[in-house]
Amino acid sequence: MPLDAILKSYMPQLVPLEGHLTAAAFPLMKIFPAEFCLQRAKKEGWVNEQTLVVETSSGNLALGLAIVCKLLAHRLTIVSDYACDGFLRRRMEDMGATVEIVPAPLVVGGYQGARLQRLAEIRAETPDSWWLNQYDNSSNPAAYGQLAALLVKQLGTIDCLVGTVGSGGSVCGTTSYLRELFPEMITVGVDTFGSVLFGQPESPRTLRGLGNSILPKNLDHSLFDEIHWVSAAEAYTATRQLHRETSLFCGGTSGACWLVARSLAKRYPKARIVAIFPDDGYRYVDTIYNNDYLREHGLYLSSLPERPHEISSPLDAVSEWSRMSWGRRKLAEVVAPAFSEVV
Amino acid sequence: MPEGLQEYQLHEINSRNGTKPATFALRRGIGHSIAQHGELFQGQIEDDSGALTRCLLSLPCRSLSSTAEFTPDDSGTVIVFPPHKTKAKTVVELTLAYFTAHPIGGVLHIRSSIPEAKGYGSSTADCVASVLSVADALHSRLSEEEIARLVVEAEVASDNFMFRSAVLFAHRNGIVLEDYGKDVPPLDVVGVDAAEDELVDTLRHPPAVYSWQQIQSFRTLSCALGRAIRTGDTCLLGRVATASARINEQFLPKPRFRELLNLAEQSGALGVSVAHSGTILSVLFDSRDPLLEQKRERLERGVDQLGITNTFRFRT
Repeated sequence: MPLDAILKSYMPQLVPLEGHLTAAAFPLMKIFPAEFCLQRAKKEGWVNEQTLVVETSSGNLALGLAIVCKLLAHRLTIVSDYACDGFLRRRMEDMGATVEIVPAPLVVGGYQGARLQRLAEIRAETPDSWWLNQYDNSSNPAAYGQLAALLVKQLGTIDCLVGTVGSGGSVCGTTSYLRELFPEMITVGVDTFGSVLFGQPESPRTLRGLGNSILPKNLDHSLFDEIHWVSAAEAYTATRQLHRETSLFCGGTSGACWLVARSLAKRYPKARIVAIFPDDGYRYVDTIYNNDYLREHGLYLSSLPERPHEISSPLDAVSEWSRMSWGRRKLAEVVAPAFSEVV
Repeated sequence: MPEGLQEYQLHEINSRNGTKPATFALRRGIGHSIAQHGELFQGQIEDDSGALTRCLLSLPCRSLSSTAEFTPDDSGTVIVFPPHKTKAKTVVELTLAYFTAHPIGGVLHIRSSIPEAKGYGSSTADCVASVLSVADALHSRLSEEEIARLVVEAEVASDNFMFRSAVLFAHRNGIVLEDYGKDVPPLDVVGVDAAEDELVDTLRHPPAVYSWQQIQSFRTLSCALGRAIRTGDTCLLGRVATASARINEQFLPKPRFRELLNLAEQSGALGVSVAHSGTILSVLFDSRDPLLEQKRERLERGVDQLGITNTFRFRT
């Protein structure tokens, strides 16, 4: 199968929403970094036809990589955990990937640690293997040159970019490319409570697909002007409202992104704002798009908050949508003063 | 017109164009070309198959020009004045060979107001004028694409101002990657040469070796370039030029680049562009900007304070 033609079918739709807000709505954004990282590794000689590709992920990067490995005829093993839903697993296995689920978390290191431990075992057993490593592989952000190119081609000057942050790849990559043209462009990151990405203490997270329990190398804090923290209930309610109002059928991270982006569109009515919607809604039919599920898990909100809580330290973000001016600082510059205030 | 040219040669020339063979006397031909003031964009882009192509877009400069006058004869050899314009000699020979296998030669005189080895595209201008003068002498016409191929063959790398509209030009392949179907939007330019005594030989200066990350950046920049020209967005065009200049600064640094960039920003210019094989730099303004005069004066005062005296104004 021609990979290029398949990849084109995964290009985002640019959908005009309220004001000058445009959504770049991907069916499966992560197919692009998966493809780009693998092609770079092949060019650099890390991967040949026999090489076993490995990655640990319980989400869309794994699915994107399964598609790319199928089309380029590479063997693939994905190490995942309980969070890998059956739908995702069946799709990956359909396309020939081996999916291993780690049975239990490590006492120290949790599921993330258990996954990395199993990954290390596989790599030791198979010397001719290559780990994509989306968190630290610098080809991940570099993959978003395509998105930046599409955005400037279709929209021209861009004043503000909003995106959810997990590995840092999409927002940091797209920002870097766009800032070569528009150095003053405002970049807004969307995180969730309990994620360590922007200085919150780690705790269990309900909202998946954004946030992280570790700090990826691909996250460059000094690119961000503003950070928002959004809860699962807020993100899911926004996802449903987005669907009700526009018919856009997206995943929960898109809802979180839209919630923040439309508040920016109200704040800056003349600004050309782009919001990155990373995936479509099919994986979430039984959860986000299921009212019983939402009520059962206390994730159903009768209405969305109008505006975020304004906070000045990541530690002040507790449980409801919060906004903080980040000012293109490094993490230490933000967290150290906050720490001294607490002490 | 020298005596002795055979009429059958002319039959052949005209039958190339698919027209009915006719006889003409060869005549003295004239050709003319504008110059450029560096490039608005230069980089290397990757197509869907992963192939890399070097490409550029010239900043046209109509106030400098080259004129060639070709007097054909049946000597079979080409003589060029001034004699150091060897690329022009080569392109005349290529053009004659392109038209006919018969041994036409002649004398080419070039008169040019374009400084050499600074980034004005003097050699491309000479070559374009020369090709046109030969075609004129042979009562023939060449398409822009044919001219481009002949000039690149003679020069190895050439600029793109043989095309009337703005094009993204593969300057080492002689082909158009994208025809924007429009002119570069109206710009007022302050040209600066902060290295009056330096010269850059295009062929001796090695092509930039871009990193794969920079090649990714050029993808965004070339898309922005296309949009800027199609929509006449001078602001975006200035951004593209500046970004391209910044990347290429690593390969052929311009003296006082940082200071000139800051001055351009402070004076409210659209951006800067540079010569990628030369020393000149251009500060770009929108010709339709009502504050053009004030902005340009502010810039020129700053340039003066840097001690740079070699500046010149023109409009695209």
